[in-house]
Amino acid sequence: MIDRLTAALAASRADYTEIRVEQTWSSAVTMRGRRLESATASEDQGGFVRALNRGSGWGTASFTSLDQLAAMVARADELSRAVLLERPIQLAPVPPQRAEGILDLDGDVRGVPLAEKKRLIEAYNGAMLTVSDRIVDTLATYRDEVSEYWYVNSEGAVLHELRPEVTLSGTAVARRDGTIEKGLESIGLRRGWRSVQDKAAGFRAVAERAVQLLDAPTVTGGTYPVVLDPELAGVFIHEAFGHLSEADFVYENPQAREMMTLGRRFGKPVLNVGDNGAASGLRGTLPFDDEGTPTQDTALIREGILVGRLHSRETAAAMHERPTGNARAISFRHPPIVRMTNTYIGNGRGTFEDLIRDLKLGVYACGAFGGQTMLENFSFTAAYGYMIRDGQVAELVKDVVLAGNLFQTLDRIDHIAGDFRWNQMGGGCGKAGQFPLPVTEGAPHVRIEEALVGGDVAA
Amino acid sequence: MIAQLIEAARRRADGGADALWRRVERTTVAFEWGRLKSAAATEEAGANLRVRHRGRVGVAGTTAVGGDLLDRALASAKLGEELDLEFPAPAPLASLTTCFDRAANASLDDLIGIGRSLLARLEREGCRVNVAIERETTATRVANSAGASGEYRSTAFGVSADVWRIAGDDVLVVSDAFEGADVPSDEALAALVASINARLDRALRVVAPPEGALPVVFTPAGLSALMLPVTQSLSGKAVLQGISPLGAKVGQEVFDARFSLTDDPLRIGRAASRPLDDECVPSRATCLVERGVVQRFIYDLETAARAEVESTGNGQRGIFGKPVPGYTNLVLNSVAAPHAAPQQLGGGLLGDIRDGLLVDELIGVGQGNVIGGAFSHPVALAYRIERGEVTGRVKDAAVAGNAYELWKRVGGFGADARWTGSRWAPSVLFEGVSVARR
Repeated sequence: MIDRLTAALAASRADYTEIRVEQTWSSAVTMRGRRLESATASEDQGGFVRALNRGSGWGTASFTSLDQLAAMVARADELSRAVLLERPIQLAPVPPQRAEGILDLDGDVRGVPLAEKKRLIEAYNGAMLTVSDRIVDTLATYRDEVSEYWYVNSEGAVLHELRPEVTLSGTAVARRDGTIEKGLESIGLRRGWRSVQDKAAGFRAVAERAVQLLDAPTVTGGTYPVVLDPELAGVFIHEAFGHLSEADFVYENPQAREMMTLGRRFGKPVLNVGDNGAASGLRGTLPFDDEGTPTQDTALIREGILVGRLHSRETAAAMHERPTGNARAISFRHPPIVRMTNTYIGNGRGTFEDLIRDLKLGVYACGAFGGQTMLENFSFTAAYGYMIRDGQVAELVKDVVLAGNLFQTLDRIDHIAGDFRWNQMGGGCGKAGQFPLPVTEGAPHVRIEEALVGGDVAA
Repeated sequence: MIAQLIEAARRRADGGADALWRRVERTTVAFEWGRLKSAAATEEAGANLRVRHRGRVGVAGTTAVGGDLLDRALASAKLGEELDLEFPAPAPLASLTTCFDRAANASLDDLIGIGRSLLARLEREGCRVNVAIERETTATRVANSAGASGEYRSTAFGVSADVWRIAGDDVLVVSDAFEGADVPSDEALAALVASINARLDRALRVVAPPEGALPVVFTPAGLSALMLPVTQSLSGKAVLQGISPLGAKVGQEVFDARFSLTDDPLRIGRAASRPLDDECVPSRATCLVERGVVQRFIYDLETAARAEVESTGNGQRGIFGKPVPGYTNLVLNSVAAPHAAPQQLGGGLLGDIRDGLLVDELIGVGQGNVIGGAFSHPVALAYRIERGEVTGRVKDAAVAGNAYELWKRVGGFGADARWTGSRWAPSVLFEGVSVARR
């Protein structure tokens, strides 16, 4: 394959050419209630060519038939030449890498029969169903893939990788009369079959919580001190802040650039935020991004001050900064764009108890059912929550929705505990039609001095 | 290729088979922050095969040529649950134009030309504009072991634009898109520009949001939060799962008597239109709600078999995974399109409102327990209405309510019906929507 790709590169007329080829084997088994919804094995393959010429823009071509490779290289060059630019696109230099990266498959999923995958997810589904007769519906999915990946560019980079991924997800629906509550479990790992054994406890726990939520009162809307658990804190920092630190948002937009000026204070000195594509063993981890740049740990906020952002080679050159290894594509169907990898709030000090000890009344918001940010505004739905009363965790509450303004909220983070953890969840990040991109989030418990909490909006 | 695939499957699967083969060829140009940045070509082909063997159904998909597609489908069927799935016999198809030569043959320069003309009309001081133009041609073939088959070419054309204005920490984005099967007319492009400019002009002034139970007008785009629970609960899949609040309401008047909703795969000029669905079922319009009364739900072959009804021809399948029931073109209150007269923001519904809100976009639509009908969303783009006029943009406000309750009594339907993606709807006024400041 490498020879085929380098030969195609050699024939390109463009000033810069890169080729990515992927071959992906995947399988998925879904249970709904006591029924098997589907069990499938799929094979997907294709390539992507990107070409750049002086004075021109990007030309790209994606295709599923590898016989078309030579024609597609020519097509990308032709498209690039059709896009005339006054200001040329430049690529920040990256020493060309040659590497063979076989990630730890940890039990190659391709060797496991579909029937065994069904047995595994059936057991986890059963763990939710047997919790209570109040569990009226479940959805449980096992999904895996192994992707063989090749990347070459005309500067001499040659990469070959084997990338595994396995995810489990479960939804338990509890119902009593007209009240319906949900519990969600999600596990996503860049590993293989062995890593998803013995996970029944997590599925059981979310089903139990769904049942408990049937009796929980809706949180009373209002402004409270709010403590986020590591899962929700991780989702928050990814959605509300992470996307603004992607340099393609700012590099050609002077107003956005001003808003995200390095050196601007974003939070109190307790706040440290970063993105680490090189962290060991996480779902967002890869040795190189899809431009062949090595991944790294990039500081974004240090002691409350904006100190960095995430780059592709193009955005780094435009802003006279260094590439950070964040140009990623979800598959050969898409171009690499600036994306997060494993995004985190850095560890603080002390324990969860230290965060709540002096709170007379507050909310402890846990887990995430969803979240959306529109620029500086966000809305997050916690999976569940607890009231904090007189420095203690008190009753379970539901419908905990946090809404607010990013800048104000970041600035109100006043205490961060020392209990950091990565959330190894499935799902993924979406941007510009590319979903789901495997990412991970991590955080310790985080306290916001004051945030708006509302399930119901009082009329 | 598909005929051989069905033939091979028929020999090894005792309950028959059906398959879809699709080839997509697409060209896209993107203007990023005001300048032409990239041109992209895509060529993709793949096949999806479903077999029924010993009473069990299995599915497999591939983009690779040759390979073991049939083996994988049979392996999938081995694990599958029993299902009495019948593949439909050949039936006459409606004649429908799905392929438009101008879209099929549009050159890269044509796309760039449309983009430049939009950019020129949208550029303004202190703002940045993104524009994307896309044309696509698709060849689809479907066939089954009962002898039914279909083959058609279709085109799609998309134009989208968003204008960004960042002032300090205030970020404003106003966007619109054209989606159709043919190249947009000059009038359609002018309407897109006018729609963005009208909403942008009125957004420059920020005013305090009102508070309380108020009249709220949802624009055709803003209506998503109110339509999503309805469309989810009209899917036969949700009805089968027992989670649809409308599941037991066929024949009952649960909506305002002026509310009708139809799924129509035979609209000419729409990208979602096709002569038959992805499971060889001929296309026909399905009336879901007529004058407030629930009529029926949408089904694909599998959900229809489980519910012991006929498929409504709403089977949708990709290259990977099994078919699912999906909508084509959703038409709310089919009335003739108003003529090209410039459309008024709010569709003429604002006049009688003393104090209220005009909602164009909400944050978090689709999160949480959508099908239950209760919603609560911060606004992304909304305007205050005072004494019948838009007085400015509101920030830091949230709207809440229950979609089913609100649809029972509609304050009015606007005269500004248009396509938003594959949904045709006007602006709609609801009384007594909760509006909160935050």
